[in-house]
Amino acid sequence: MQIYLPIAEMPVNILLIIGLGGAVGFLSGMFGVGGGFVLAPFLMFLGIPPPVAVATQATQIVASSVSGVITHWRKGNVDLKMGGVMLAGGLVGSVFGIQLFNALKAAGQADLFIALSYVIFLGSIGGLMFWESLQAVRHGGSSVGSTRREPGGHYWMHGWPLKMRFHRSKLYISAIPPVLLGALIGLLSVVMGIGGGFVLVPAMIYLLRVPTAIVIGTSLFQIIFVAAFATLLHAITNHSVDLLLGLLLTAGGVVGAQFGVRYGERLRSDWLRLCLAALVLMICLRLGLDLVLPPSDPFNLAVEGLE
Amino acid sequence: MRGTLALLCCIAAMAAGAVRAEDLAAGISRDKIEITSNFTGANVVVFGAIENEGGEALPATETRDIVVIVRSDKPYIVTVRKKDAFGPIWVNRDARRFAGVPGFYFIASTRPLKDIAPENVLEQFEIGIDRIALGPAPNAIGGPKEFREAIVRTKVREELYSQHEGAVSFLSGSLFRTTVSLPPTVPAGNLKVLVYAFADGRVVSSNSMTLFIDKTGIERRLSEFAHYSPFLYGLVAVLLSVLAGFFASVVFRERQ
Repeated sequence: MQIYLPIAEMPVNILLIIGLGGAVGFLSGMFGVGGGFVLAPFLMFLGIPPPVAVATQATQIVASSVSGVITHWRKGNVDLKMGGVMLAGGLVGSVFGIQLFNALKAAGQADLFIALSYVIFLGSIGGLMFWESLQAVRHGGSSVGSTRREPGGHYWMHGWPLKMRFHRSKLYISAIPPVLLGALIGLLSVVMGIGGGFVLVPAMIYLLRVPTAIVIGTSLFQIIFVAAFATLLHAITNHSVDLLLGLLLTAGGVVGAQFGVRYGERLRSDWLRLCLAALVLMICLRLGLDLVLPPSDPFNLAVEGLE
Repeated sequence: MRGTLALLCCIAAMAAGAVRAEDLAAGISRDKIEITSNFTGANVVVFGAIENEGGEALPATETRDIVVIVRSDKPYIVTVRKKDAFGPIWVNRDARRFAGVPGFYFIASTRPLKDIAPENVLEQFEIGIDRIALGPAPNAIGGPKEFREAIVRTKVREELYSQHEGAVSFLSGSLFRTTVSLPPTVPAGNLKVLVYAFADGRVVSSNSMTLFIDKTGIERRLSEFAHYSPFLYGLVAVLLSVLAGFFASVVFRERQ
């Protein structure tokens, strides 16, 4: 069953797109990541123009994050205070991000910078997380921090000022680390065009020591705003959001997210971290191979518009 | 010396043209294609007949070669980037901008193009996917040949450029036809349909028509909405996503 997309200007298979949305929504609900870094390459593989793929996936991320957050909220897994503090940092970060992005563009190497930072971020975060969760799984599901405490890993932020109590996360820490983390995510999401869930989730687990269940709900909460902002920005500057494609992805995504939340709960948190680490490493490997392997056609085209 | 020769050739050509006053009548099976939500491409038949001055069919001894070109009316500006090895990784190094890049180009002919006319004539009329006039964009330096070839190669791979030598067939001495297949990814906008009749390596008559391709119904409304009120469009996109997410979580809660 084919349907013609008005903005992408090509037909796609309806069931394939709904299924794709469902699969990514499942990952989103389970791990608290937006899933943009999986969805966009898939859409491009189907022949959808890259600007449309990147812009439209943001609508699907909004939808599956909302769907996941409400379910997590009912289970008491969203720390609104923590999310709000990070969001405030995120706003500042995205302003700096726009400036950094423009500077890189002027230097002509934005693409390379994005690809390299993807590989470095995904590789180091995925690798560390994989190692840690593998140890945890081996030791029979001990929680983060109880068996391994890197020097400084737990204590460095405790002397910081502006302490706040985060009830849901069971933390009494300085507000500065969450703000900085939020700013970093805001910066990354503007420069790299992603929601930043795969950076946020591990950072909240390992740096802020927020319980894994709370991390996922709170990360999704933050991603809603980042993705909504991205959707608006793309719609205004590039006119590249395809509503029809977005609706199809969303239809699958919101249902997938529901199953993802339920399935994620049944999984032990160390196994959950291990699966997310494996996913992140797989994507890192794919991106790394793209950089290193000789391209099948070294030339690529970008249409700038009508004469 | 060269100038005189060219002038002589020109006069000779004009004289010959005057002798062979022919008419090329041509038509298309449909002149408007509407892109609806179930659009998966379309076929259009281009047909025509060659008549002499008196409106009669040509004598059997006179043979003509027919070339049919269907191409986008408005060309694009395109940037071509080339990846090169930079240490262990491949990065975009060199880039060139081109103007005059049609989004769609289809060509069909009665015989191999190089048998129909000499190279300079083919180039003059942009006959053949390798002869589309792709020039440097304003304020840009021209690209080496490999950049131009990359544009054509990519468009051929995307099935937007195609060349079909021998695909125009004569039904009788003067009646010809060919089928143009438009892929589902054909860009919306007008297409020019150009028909040329060749004899002895020269164009003896030609005809041009317009094929309108336009989005209709929901496709058109969404596309106009996205372009004319982008802020509202973006808000609607976000709102629909939030509603869909909310709706799903409500439905699933009731099922528990």
